[in-house]
Amino acid sequence: MREAETGRGRSRLHAGSAAGLEPRTPVRPGPRAAVNRCAPRWPVRALPVRVDARRTCRVDLEFTAERYGPEVADGRLGRCSARVVFRHQKPRPAVNVTCTRFMETSRRRREDFLLYKRAKRLRAPLGATSIPDSHGWIDPSLRPIWDLALLGSSYVMWERTTQTLQYYMAQLSSVNQWKTNEDAIDFDYTVLLHEFSTQEIIPCRIHLVWYPGKPLKVKYHCQELHTAQEGSGTEEGSAVAPTQPNNF
Amino acid sequence: MRGLLLLSVLLGAVLGKEDFVGHQVLRISAVDEAQVQKVKELEDLEHLKLDFWRGPGRPGSPIDVRVPLPSSQAVKVFLEAHGIGYTVMIEDVQSLLDEEQEQMFAFQAWARSTDTFNYATYHTLEEIYGFLDLLVAEHPQLVSKLQIGNSYEGRPIYVLKFSTGGSKRPAIWIDTGIHSREWVTQASGVWFAKKITQDYGQDSTLTAILDSMDIFLEIVTNPDGFAFTHSKNRMWRKTRSLTPGSACVGVDPNRNWDAGFGLVGASSNPCSETYHGKFANSEVEVKSIVDFVKSHGNIKAFISIHSYSQLLLYPYGYKAEAAPDQQELDQLAKSAVTALASLYGTKFKYGSIIKTIYQASGSTVDWTYSQGIKYSFTFELRDTGRYGFLLPASQIIPTAQETWLALRTIMEHTLNHPY
Repeated sequence: MREAETGRGRSRLHAGSAAGLEPRTPVRPGPRAAVNRCAPRWPVRALPVRVDARRTCRVDLEFTAERYGPEVADGRLGRCSARVVFRHQKPRPAVNVTCTRFMETSRRRREDFLLYKRAKRLRAPLGATSIPDSHGWIDPSLRPIWDLALLGSSYVMWERTTQTLQYYMAQLSSVNQWKTNEDAIDFDYTVLLHEFSTQEIIPCRIHLVWYPGKPLKVKYHCQELHTAQEGSGTEEGSAVAPTQPNNF
Repeated sequence: MRGLLLLSVLLGAVLGKEDFVGHQVLRISAVDEAQVQKVKELEDLEHLKLDFWRGPGRPGSPIDVRVPLPSSQAVKVFLEAHGIGYTVMIEDVQSLLDEEQEQMFAFQAWARSTDTFNYATYHTLEEIYGFLDLLVAEHPQLVSKLQIGNSYEGRPIYVLKFSTGGSKRPAIWIDTGIHSREWVTQASGVWFAKKITQDYGQDSTLTAILDSMDIFLEIVTNPDGFAFTHSKNRMWRKTRSLTPGSACVGVDPNRNWDAGFGLVGASSNPCSETYHGKFANSEVEVKSIVDFVKSHGNIKAFISIHSYSQLLLYPYGYKAEAAPDQQELDQLAKSAVTALASLYGTKFKYGSIIKTIYQASGSTVDWTYSQGIKYSFTFELRDTGRYGFLLPASQIIPTAQETWLALRTIMEHTLNHPY
């Protein structure tokens, strides 16, 4: 189990605010033509990059943040720019984001608290859930569960993202625990993450503890799938030759 | 004994009902020839109105008989008196019939015509196959259903042909659902089929297209996978073929084509979602299309539809080298996505597969392009990740509507640029 606290210095994307950040307009690289600049292939329109493990890869982005939730009239929250730096082909890029004309802190706090109150009143369906269901439907009363599931997932996805791997939360597949009797929301659940470009669906068990205004606590464990041997051409990949029984 | 049977005759005459309320089906076990003979006696009593579903035969062979309510007691007493064993197989035939009727009406409710068909919801394989037949029945002059093969698990693979005549006219091919979990694509395919029948004779562009070209539409390109997404695993992508030597099932049908097969951009691991298969065209779902395309020989545009990501892509996927027709394809893609965005503002990116999404080998349109089908495109429909594969049903129609505008643009260009 990986344990982490998202502190203030680490990433402003995860300052514990659940007032939904979602890049809405297509992201495009910033205007700087810098050394060591590269861009992940997807979704930014990019030049094919031969990835060099020694290099760092920096992406400058500009995007608009919008409310993440059922369609709201005043959707836009602000314009943001971010610098994302991948080092040595490793996941967990350094992210620095600043937004202008973002929602004022007091309003953000209010919104978070509203979500918190709704969550406290909610009786979560325990066990296998499928949110959304196969038809993409999320019951409005269960929306707070999904919002918090996404919040925790976004942390996991950030920790796994590399120059060549990215994620979306495909589905909340089970609610293992939903405790609201104490101050914080204590939520243990499983999500399915959709991984590009492998197309794999990866189940991740996530345990988050959230109280508005406090840093989010996230523990998680993702199922390691078959060791995917990527397109190695003609060799048989993972076909392991049968081992001879040991005579000891 | 005879007295009781006589009584039942009178009762039967008085009641004389046509329905099956209270009718039971008994299974009689006659253990020897004598008992078989006794049951045959019952057969002769016409007033009992017994209906033998399985008549008396050899001793030991079960005898099934439907017994109308008025005759019920008489028959049971008769059997008991002669020590002939029986069990009640069906308690009440009418309730069984009522249930069946309900189901039939329910079936008819969602499949009486393509005008009452619900396009704003996701459907099962059976429902879509039912839709195909309805559409053909309603427009026999324009639409026909072809079977191009059978899936790995034996399901028929159907293609709709839209044609106003001629013979082997230049044609446009559209397929949806090659990756079974991409449900908005099959749903859009159903909508496209209906749209074509509505617009022929109404929309000048579509009419011009169909007056000189044919359209082939394969809605459920991966029926086994699709059935599996309904029954077991909503996230299933591949076919359902078994791979000898592996516990894992399925091949990625979009890595199984004979174009850069097995090169970087697909996996050789049978457990992977992008497993290319043991050899090109190993999957019958792919081979069926290959055979069709080759034998038709006159397909001019080939469009394969996926979700999600909102992209319009053209070859190549397996190599970085630009396709010879890159400029024209790029221009056409640009027009198509502009048309698409005109409806709801949905933004699509476009470009070659390898530059826009990722390197992928053995993909459909790389092969079709290699066969000389210049206008080879792959779509990735809505959305960009918020719902992904689980796109709310409320978005089916808007997605289909906007995508249709892009398809129309490509088809029109194909019509106006014969080659």
